[in-house]
Amino acid sequence: MANRAGFLRSGTFRNLAILILVWEVVGRVDWIAGGALPGLSEILIRLWADRGDYPGHVWATVQASVLGFVIGNLVAVGAGILFVLFPTLLRLTRGFNIAVFALPPIAIAPILVLTLSGMAPRITLAALGVYFVTMSATVVGLSQFDTRAADVVRAYGGKDWMVMKLVRLRGAVPDILSGLRIAAPNAVLGAILAEFGGGGRWGLGTYLLGSLGRGDPARLWGIGLVATLIAGLSYLVFAVISARTLGSSRSVTLNTAIPDADDGAERSLPLRLAVIAGAALLPFFLWWAFIKLTGVPDLIAKTPLGVLDYLFLSDTSHIARAKLLAALAETLPITAIGMLAGLGFAFLLAISARMFPGFIKTFMPIALVTQTMPLVALTPLLVLILGRGTSVTLWITISVTFFPAFVLLVQGIQRVPQSVLDLPRAYGASAWTELRMVSIPAALPYLFAATRLTVPRALLGVMIAEWLATGTGLGNLLNQSRGYLDYGMIWTVAAVSVCLSVAFYYAILLIERRTLTRLGMQWVE
Amino acid sequence: MAFTINRRTFIQGAAIAGASAGLPLRARAASALTMQAAWINDAEFSGYFLAMDKGYYSDEGLELTYLSGGPDVIPESTIIAGRADLALTTPDTTIRAISEQGAKFKIIGAQYQKNPIGIVSLKKNPVNTPADLVGKTVAVPPVNTVTVEALLSLNGIDRNAVNIVPYAYDPTPLVRGEIDASLDFTTNVPYTIGLLGEEAQSFLLYDHGVTLFNDTVVVTEETLASRRADLVAWLRASRRGWDENLADPSLYPPQWEDSWFKGTGRSIDNEVFFNTAQKDLIVSGGGIFSMSEEAIEKNLAALQAVGINGTREMFDTTLLEEV
Repeated sequence: MANRAGFLRSGTFRNLAILILVWEVVGRVDWIAGGALPGLSEILIRLWADRGDYPGHVWATVQASVLGFVIGNLVAVGAGILFVLFPTLLRLTRGFNIAVFALPPIAIAPILVLTLSGMAPRITLAALGVYFVTMSATVVGLSQFDTRAADVVRAYGGKDWMVMKLVRLRGAVPDILSGLRIAAPNAVLGAILAEFGGGGRWGLGTYLLGSLGRGDPARLWGIGLVATLIAGLSYLVFAVISARTLGSSRSVTLNTAIPDADDGAERSLPLRLAVIAGAALLPFFLWWAFIKLTGVPDLIAKTPLGVLDYLFLSDTSHIARAKLLAALAETLPITAIGMLAGLGFAFLLAISARMFPGFIKTFMPIALVTQTMPLVALTPLLVLILGRGTSVTLWITISVTFFPAFVLLVQGIQRVPQSVLDLPRAYGASAWTELRMVSIPAALPYLFAATRLTVPRALLGVMIAEWLATGTGLGNLLNQSRGYLDYGMIWTVAAVSVCLSVAFYYAILLIERRTLTRLGMQWVE
Repeated sequence: MAFTINRRTFIQGAAIAGASAGLPLRARAASALTMQAAWINDAEFSGYFLAMDKGYYSDEGLELTYLSGGPDVIPESTIIAGRADLALTTPDTTIRAISEQGAKFKIIGAQYQKNPIGIVSLKKNPVNTPADLVGKTVAVPPVNTVTVEALLSLNGIDRNAVNIVPYAYDPTPLVRGEIDASLDFTTNVPYTIGLLGEEAQSFLLYDHGVTLFNDTVVVTEETLASRRADLVAWLRASRRGWDENLADPSLYPPQWEDSWFKGTGRSIDNEVFFNTAQKDLIVSGGGIFSMSEEAIEKNLAALQAVGINGTREMFDTTLLEEV
């Protein structure tokens, strides 16, 4: 009881109340683009009127997201453990892992709809949405352990597996949980996107598609809120579990041991080259195998060779290349800007979270809403507010990129050991000085990891904006090609966007390794 | 949504299977046929809903599976992949696929004699003819850009004189004046515009040179050869459904409030409006799905003008003759 009273008097509650009040007033007086943002009460009234429609749709979406979430995460945690036990495997599958993460959902949704049946496209898209996040988090958690604890196990005769079981898995729990936390909204969004395009009868995505034609923002926001509620509840579950377990696995004192150098150096050059070649070829092999296994005819499903043929060997190759290059010229610059903007925003937020914890508690619900509001619903409304120029593209890109980067950065800042923080405090340093001298440098590995995470999402954000608002670049090319039944181009755009993401990823990885090695820091997978 | 089997239903199923195994085969077992529609459930497919509800397909010995569509569903792809036997398509896409990619399709009927797609604007800022589009912003779903380019080219309008932006199926930007016009079904969106307090003004692309069918019934050559009788049966049953539905367009949509139209996000009044508005575009002297020689020629001519080379052989009217 005292707890609840405390909450009512707390700043978080007050800020949230102010926020809702402002929203209500702004919505009621139709300030934003003549009513594109309805008041909360208008949305709730609409939601109540539509209450009969929701159960079937919510049930379908929850089913697909939960199945996708469970399958995707089981695979991800299993893969993460394998990757840590056998680092070569991680190197060999790196190309594949990045490719899975970088697959633009809007490009593969139609492909999944074609090749799989019933609920499978939704479950697959949900699973793909969670795999990379959880896998990375698992590897991070398992890699960053207190070597002193491992030494203790080894001193008592424990093998690698015992270290894994007693030290690393336990230490990884908070990281895995924070991975699951970010992954949860991804699963819901993946399922909704597949529902939107896939032509099923039930699911919030289907409901959204039918509702778009009504020109009723309150309905669209209502669907978005319900999607947010589902995602938010799943986020909350893992956040609560995470908060309960975090303290138990953190080191009390600082480990001053310098991390081991990468064991890659001592292996032979031919072997390393073979692994690199394998990593580059594996995604293409799996792509080829997927098409052969599903048995989809060549006309629809292009293998890697089919795409090469389309781009370089057929009679119309020069037209295809010209279209592709023109689209890339439109998409790439804005993607780079969008990525920087998203990252900058995440960084600012992460610092604010440290400086003003109250502000971030108020902001988190809004941040989560932007992650789970289906963009297909909001883009027509965003266009009314921001037009169809660069600003709408940037806004959408920031909104899809900042959240994962933000969570990673906050985690990096939070993991700074207490003993390191005590030092500047003992000397009477201000919060800013402490942040500048300790927390930000300590979070550097996480900033790099966040950058790598942001690249593919930035491309996705730009493509969504191009598809629904600006009508330019890769996003538009992809969708126009569907009208021409130009399957070659559909596969080409998907392949090119993935290859670009992977290339960016490696570029950042290179800078990261150099910088962190020089600083003697451990990197975050 | 998911198909679950618990122990009880499994035992029941096994018992039924066991019992029926002992029975003599029926003279004519229902043959399974799957159709891929072009969009989510709305009045556009009323004829099929009616025929399913009233058992017209089973009367013809068919067991029909109906797959609804959506933005990512390319109906032609579904039949190439073998996930459906028959699809409702847009003829320009289908014919382009046959002529340019060698896809083995045949068009065996056409639901819309006149394509309901048109340019929709507001009465207070009307776009009455293709020429009015010059200097205007028109929202077009990216998949349909090819159709609008056909309209402009057939009417001698420079493609660069019109600002084409993506359309996301939401009429709000039109009503708010962010765009001047949109490409949509003229049978559908004017209803919503009316509800939003504006009056819609629209013209059909069909009336300005783009003389195309829509929801053409397409099968692969292989299906046509192997399942001809079933396809004729499907046409016959569907025609029955459409005839009955269009006899009074306001009669059936309200009856599907809790079945076909449950939870689609659209209103029943909208479906009645749609069903009524589409009647004249579907009904034909030759019966529903009819493809007269004259109409086929018009389709081919319109496509020719935008560089798509269709031929008479892509249409097979002999099944309709059997119906």
